[in-house]
Amino acid sequence: MTRSLQYTSSPLLASRTPVWRSKFIVAAVAIGFFGLAARAAYIQVIGNAFFQRQGEVRFTRTLALPANRGRIFDRNGLVLASSVPAPSIWAIPEDVERDKPKLQQLAKALDMPLADLTKKLEDDDKTFVWLKRQVDDTVAKQIAALGLKGVYARNEYKREYPEGEAMAHVVGFTNVEDKGQEGVELTFNKELAGKAGSRRVIKDRFGRVVEDVGEQVPPVDGKDLTLSVDSKIQFFAYQKLRDAVISNKAKAGSVVVLDALSGEVLAVANYPSYVPDKRKNLTGEQLRNRALTDTFEPGSTMKPFTIGLALDTGRVTPQTVIQTAPGSVTITGSTIHDSHAHGPLTVEQVIQVSSNVGTTKIAMQMPAREMWETFSQAGFGQKPQISFPGAVSGRLRPYKTWRPIEQATMSYGYGLSASLFQMARSYTVFSHDGQIIPTTLLKRDEPAVGTQVFSPKTAAAVRKMLQMAAGPGGTGPLAQTVGYSVGGKSGTAHKQVGKGYATNKYRSWFTGMAPIDKPRIIVAVMVDEPSAGQYFGGIVAAPVFSEVVQQSLRMMGVTPDMDVKPQTVVKAVEESF
Amino acid sequence: MTRLNLILLVAVITSAMYLVHTQYASRRLFQDLEHATTDAHKLAVENDGLEVQRRSKATPLRIEKLAKMQLQMRTANPAITQYVTYSESK
Repeated sequence: MTRSLQYTSSPLLASRTPVWRSKFIVAAVAIGFFGLAARAAYIQVIGNAFFQRQGEVRFTRTLALPANRGRIFDRNGLVLASSVPAPSIWAIPEDVERDKPKLQQLAKALDMPLADLTKKLEDDDKTFVWLKRQVDDTVAKQIAALGLKGVYARNEYKREYPEGEAMAHVVGFTNVEDKGQEGVELTFNKELAGKAGSRRVIKDRFGRVVEDVGEQVPPVDGKDLTLSVDSKIQFFAYQKLRDAVISNKAKAGSVVVLDALSGEVLAVANYPSYVPDKRKNLTGEQLRNRALTDTFEPGSTMKPFTIGLALDTGRVTPQTVIQTAPGSVTITGSTIHDSHAHGPLTVEQVIQVSSNVGTTKIAMQMPAREMWETFSQAGFGQKPQISFPGAVSGRLRPYKTWRPIEQATMSYGYGLSASLFQMARSYTVFSHDGQIIPTTLLKRDEPAVGTQVFSPKTAAAVRKMLQMAAGPGGTGPLAQTVGYSVGGKSGTAHKQVGKGYATNKYRSWFTGMAPIDKPRIIVAVMVDEPSAGQYFGGIVAAPVFSEVVQQSLRMMGVTPDMDVKPQTVVKAVEESF
Repeated sequence: MTRLNLILLVAVITSAMYLVHTQYASRRLFQDLEHATTDAHKLAVENDGLEVQRRSKATPLRIEKLAKMQLQMRTANPAITQYVTYSESK
């Protein structure tokens, strides 16, 4: 028989629960809920911004988006400068494990003695030390493969300059922070640099970006630049100049090549030069872009301007005879000489044989103001309109301060100064039908618009004289090329040392154009202190002119305007300087 | 009423799970996109580097040296160049 249990009537359960207990529980739960609600309100309303920020700090990151530096191209689209990855190796000295064989391998990879490396890692207090900046990608991979604790690589970029020393002065270089220091890299730094951007992202626990948050600032890459320079012409200019400087045992030299139609700079070469990637032990001599920064007295290369002015104002014609005997002329007590007496010369012949006396006699017929105006219009004493660091203006004193003897010497290029670049540009007056045209380092498609200095007729007459000067019986027959007619003026000057002139130090140059009837290029050559026996511009600088013209015109596809049979070169007439 | 509530509860839970899944999938895809973008950038940089390398192997200075030394070539000048005229008419 089963016993039934009457729970409801259990005496244990019969006692009634006090009401306050249930009320207490309900109240406690209610208070709990209130607490939660208050906390929720605090988190979501009152302290929301703080918590939002704290949350973000824990999982969002701001990534910098570096902008790529623009590349530099030559006029044919060939790379002159470009950024390539070059990781920088750094370390936390305290964390680096002192494993000698591994450290030895590291030192070898970094191409530095072990002693230097240990010295860098000596200072335990430092939390960061560069071991080597901007190493090759392969070196960085080797180092990563070593797996040395405490050694890290940071992504950086460095500039590569494939054309090396031939283009060094034009392109320049950047420093380790990727800022332009010289040349085009410095001039156009703003355009090339671009602007870095940034983005906010959420990263997961593996450090992977999983989401973008907030606004992104995209990086603006630097602009690519296309220069007017032709790397082949530049190379030939550099090569021929280098050979001439070495064979003449000269101190330095420069060559400028301009497009006679557009005013574009096709080449600016200087020697000595440097390799932009290897700049250790660089001297100021190597660094100077002499063609633009160094000024000198242009000497005989100025004569065509004096003669041009006299022709333009109708004071003389190319056939007017000037008596240059006895080879000297005295102006207010000072005597001006020719290298030897020439007797009566036509104006054309004055340029051809480069007579100082003839030029002086013509110049003294003109007021100083007119000469000053012409020289100024031709760009002398004025900064060339070219954006290049260190371009100088040269010196041309106001005409009011000219004494008669100074007017005389200035007519043949003494008492004023100009850079080789200014000289080259000034000759656009003759090549461009009497107009001086603005020059540019950037590629230009439209033809240049110039300012009229001489009439086209005068320009043509002077071109003919320049052709005679560079021909048989002139001072620069070595300037002749095979196939192309050339015209130009040689110059030789004693170098200024202190307040006077050095008797045994010279500067030789040649400025000219080709083909002479419709010039396509202007080439100016300067050789500083040739000391192998020869120092006349017609002998030292003219051959460089000839070779540069020859190669440049061939490269530009200009058809020869002369018979292409090899020409015999006659002996140069000794010029006056 | 209870049935409706249950249906709604299931719907809410399903939707919530799906949201989690979608978020996960979107992050995976975003990661892939990131990878692809990084790779593209790397390749572009590598391309630039290779272009520079190619150029430095083909600079006039190097070509001239090789042409003269290895191929015994000489620089052309008009004396040894034949110029031909081109006419448009057939």
